[in-house]
Amino acid sequence: VSASLVVASSVEEALRELASGARPVAGGTDLVVGARQGKAPLPERLVAIHRLDELRAVREDGTLRLGALVTHAEIAAHPLVRDRLTALADAAAIVGSHATRAQGTIGGNLMNASPAMETGGPLLCFGASVVLRSAAGTRSLGVGELFAGPGQTTATPDELLESVEVPLPAEATGSCYLRLEYRRQMEIAVVGATAVLTLDGNHVADARVAITALAPTLRRVPAAEAALRDGDAGPAAAEAAAQLAAEAAEPISDVRASARYRRAMATVIARRAIEIAAARARGDDVPIPANGVF
Amino acid sequence: MATTAEPRTFVRPDGKEKVTGAGRYTADLDLTGQLHARFRYADHTRAAIVRIDTSRARALPGVLAVLTHEDVPDVRYGQLVKDRRLFAKEEVRFEADIVAAVAATTPELAAQAAALIEVEYEPLTPLTDVEAALSEDAPLVHEDWASYEGDDALGREGNVLGCSTIVKGDADAAMASADVVVSGRYVADGSQGAPIEPRAIVAQWQGDRVTVWSSTQVPFMARSGVAHVLQIPESRVRVIVPLLGGGFGSKCDFHFEGHLAALARAAGRPVKLVFSREEEFVAPDHRREGMVIELETGARRDGTLVARRGRLVLDGGAYCGEGGFFAQLAAMHACGPYVIENVHIESRLVYTNNQPSGSIRAPTAPQTCWAVEQHMDELARALDLDPVELRRRTLIEEGAESPTRQVFGPLGMKQTLERAVELIGYGRELPDGEGIGFACGWWPSFGVESGAYVKLNADGTGTIVTGAQENGSGAVMGLPLLAAEALGMKPEDFSILYQDTDAGPWDMGSSGSQTTLNNGRAVVEAAREVRSRLLELAAGRLETDAEDLELADGAVQVRGAPGRAVSIAELAGTGATIIGKGSGRVPDTPATSPDSACVGRLGFESFLEPQLITHAVHVRVDGETGVTRVLRVAAVHDSGRILNPIGASGQVYGGVVMGVGQALTEATQFDEAGRQRNPHLLDYKLPTAADAPQIDIAWVETPALDGGPNGSKGMGEPPCVPTSGAIANAIAQATGARVRQLPMTAERVWEALQ
Repeated sequence: VSASLVVASSVEEALRELASGARPVAGGTDLVVGARQGKAPLPERLVAIHRLDELRAVREDGTLRLGALVTHAEIAAHPLVRDRLTALADAAAIVGSHATRAQGTIGGNLMNASPAMETGGPLLCFGASVVLRSAAGTRSLGVGELFAGPGQTTATPDELLESVEVPLPAEATGSCYLRLEYRRQMEIAVVGATAVLTLDGNHVADARVAITALAPTLRRVPAAEAALRDGDAGPAAAEAAAQLAAEAAEPISDVRASARYRRAMATVIARRAIEIAAARARGDDVPIPANGVF
Repeated sequence: MATTAEPRTFVRPDGKEKVTGAGRYTADLDLTGQLHARFRYADHTRAAIVRIDTSRARALPGVLAVLTHEDVPDVRYGQLVKDRRLFAKEEVRFEADIVAAVAATTPELAAQAAALIEVEYEPLTPLTDVEAALSEDAPLVHEDWASYEGDDALGREGNVLGCSTIVKGDADAAMASADVVVSGRYVADGSQGAPIEPRAIVAQWQGDRVTVWSSTQVPFMARSGVAHVLQIPESRVRVIVPLLGGGFGSKCDFHFEGHLAALARAAGRPVKLVFSREEEFVAPDHRREGMVIELETGARRDGTLVARRGRLVLDGGAYCGEGGFFAQLAAMHACGPYVIENVHIESRLVYTNNQPSGSIRAPTAPQTCWAVEQHMDELARALDLDPVELRRRTLIEEGAESPTRQVFGPLGMKQTLERAVELIGYGRELPDGEGIGFACGWWPSFGVESGAYVKLNADGTGTIVTGAQENGSGAVMGLPLLAAEALGMKPEDFSILYQDTDAGPWDMGSSGSQTTLNNGRAVVEAAREVRSRLLELAAGRLETDAEDLELADGAVQVRGAPGRAVSIAELAGTGATIIGKGSGRVPDTPATSPDSACVGRLGFESFLEPQLITHAVHVRVDGETGVTRVLRVAAVHDSGRILNPIGASGQVYGGVVMGVGQALTEATQFDEAGRQRNPHLLDYKLPTAADAPQIDIAWVETPALDGGPNGSKGMGEPPCVPTSGAIANAIAQATGARVRQLPMTAERVWEALQ
């Protein structure tokens, strides 16, 4: 049990609390569940930010700006996300359960920095950045620079994640996030892959590929991206790129799967993500979340 | 005879409070002055205890009691073998053996105090592999096993806690003469009941009597357990069960009630325990037993089963608990509901340093059935017969003889198969990667003593006072249907007083699918006594003979003269005592032949009114990942006459989903030292609602001649028996690959396909 809980009524108040050692809580889906499970005790001091409506806004001006308190359910349902940032909708739609998605926020998801987080791969591939704010001011950094290791970020303790900014990709872009899942809800990624493909006619003008839950942090796979670029994104190209994605993995053996199986699945999941991204780029309608197809 | 279930509108009395959240469970109970309990568990899975020092814990302000083995009577407990103490004394034998217990003013202080207890150990090499535990030079999990009090029929020997054989004819000779012989080895991991309510207990002493509120399935067993370990008369112990939030067998047996009663006595205050989710996985002596199952079957060309040999090894874990009978039950399931001419099965329940095994919904049956039914499909393939056709030719029917030469009465085993074939649409073309599989299983009915009272209230309603325990299955909640039928009243007219050992007669508890079978008969008998009393009272009022009266629509009326009637309310409102009691006759165990040379007879060598099941399952397997989705299950059961279709269907829906979990994702994984690696709901993967398949249910209602009320049988456990076997066979149909390890996880399916 935390010794104190302050419900912040302004961002400034929240920042003062953070500066004096409190930790933020919004949906609580990682913090509270983790404490109950004995992963880490609740912090001595908490500052609740769930009433800060200015962190709840979604704005769009060529870049999609998601306030830290936007929930997974809201992201999954957002028309622009579904249309232009489809991989992010794929991911947000399969986080945890209905309850997790209604309660859990994008800000909390990012700052929890799990290498198995669903939304991280798409954000990485879309070139998203986060805005971190402290009493000293704000700074922006790419999502890739935020993650320092499992459960660790490069944010300082007095910084609050204010928003996530996702530039909208070019027209004729298709994207997909896919994970290996043993069950349909309450699942955690054992292997995940994101693909974002921009077509120019029948050729790939730009490609982004990332792997999830396959290394200490989420990572893009430049070799796979290069292999796709200028190609036709057909089955052979997808398979070749997927194998490169699997080679970039550093899979472990644990209670969820063996390293051998994880590596084999990295190829399968990455290939399928690439194929679906290509299909969507061509204008095919693939349901969201893409995981529902399998 | 077969009818498809139709909904009935009787709403179970506890339904609304459970669905709305208004219901109160044990953890919701708080008593004035209450303390919080915490256990200090073993630091090793196998170690000798050298020294326990509780002084630092005792010195902590706010700690009112710290107990070890020195503070309670030196007695052992356990159902068929008394092999466990409340607190470990010389040795710890698994990761959650309890070394000490603390009661303190807050849960945090209790946890702090438990951590302050110093225990010095001499670590020993844990014995976690069940086959290794059988070897001659294996260390003994219980050095002093021979001195323990235990049932002589168990055939204990060293690490073998129970041994059972079924021998019929000459299996070796018959095997040698068979046209076709198939053999296979199957390994099942252990799994969990995983009730959503972690267990909770509150104990309070008043004078020399203790009241224990506990989330148990077996309040009377809890009562006798507390009395035994504290060495006090049973009459000084009252066990009350508030609403129970699921059990699935895992809340059978006495256990932690003893620790709480001892803590509350020592502290002089009420003490409460609520398990964390991790404790709920690790600490109960209830894990569905891991098994190694080796089968060999010989058949004639026409499919006749001429011989089966089987060797089964069951991981009993560190203590007997209430699971001592598992070897014999597994041996019976290794034969299954088939006619087999010659049989030789050997089954051993073995001590290891793993979590103890105990009854989880149909103990031993799902795993054994999963192995046997895959084996049958493999035999069908070797015989070039359709799997359904082989079963058609070999399943039991009326007059058939069991492996122990029990001769069966009327039963609908084959009908369940035929109905499942129809329901699932077997034989049609399926897309690539899809398959349909079948499995047949059985489960005995358990005839035991049970009792109930029925009394009428002054407003003409009734109250059923029963010792039976409601574990969520609805068996107790369905008792008003039986009383109402006997008394011409409405089921909604009855309240139920239950789950209190000071109120109801003794009952075995919610185990063995026995509540409707036994307590149902008791309620019917009690209601009939009430009926006689009502007729007697009405005869006086209506000036006629009792024989001319009948009960209908809440009134006693003269037969054929509806105008001449007196309402039950009027009779009950006079202040007359209208009360009935009943127990019902306990059915005899069916006879077996003395020349069937079985050892380890514990009462399961014959099956009273067996419940018979066929499940047909349609799956889709992702060949690249091994992920299996169960699309549809056709579940056909002969559980005798169905008394409450909505309740019976609920049992099948739940059992099938549990079976899906056991088949595909649910396993307790141990590390090399015997510690659980996934004691939480993220990595112990229960199926979610989104994973539940379409489930089509049909009943084959063969009236039981010697079963429960109106020809009924039990219902609770069988629905999870054949599901995993049918899924296994569907996977093989879909992919051509056999997965011989349970659960058939995506990775294991994928490995089988490589």
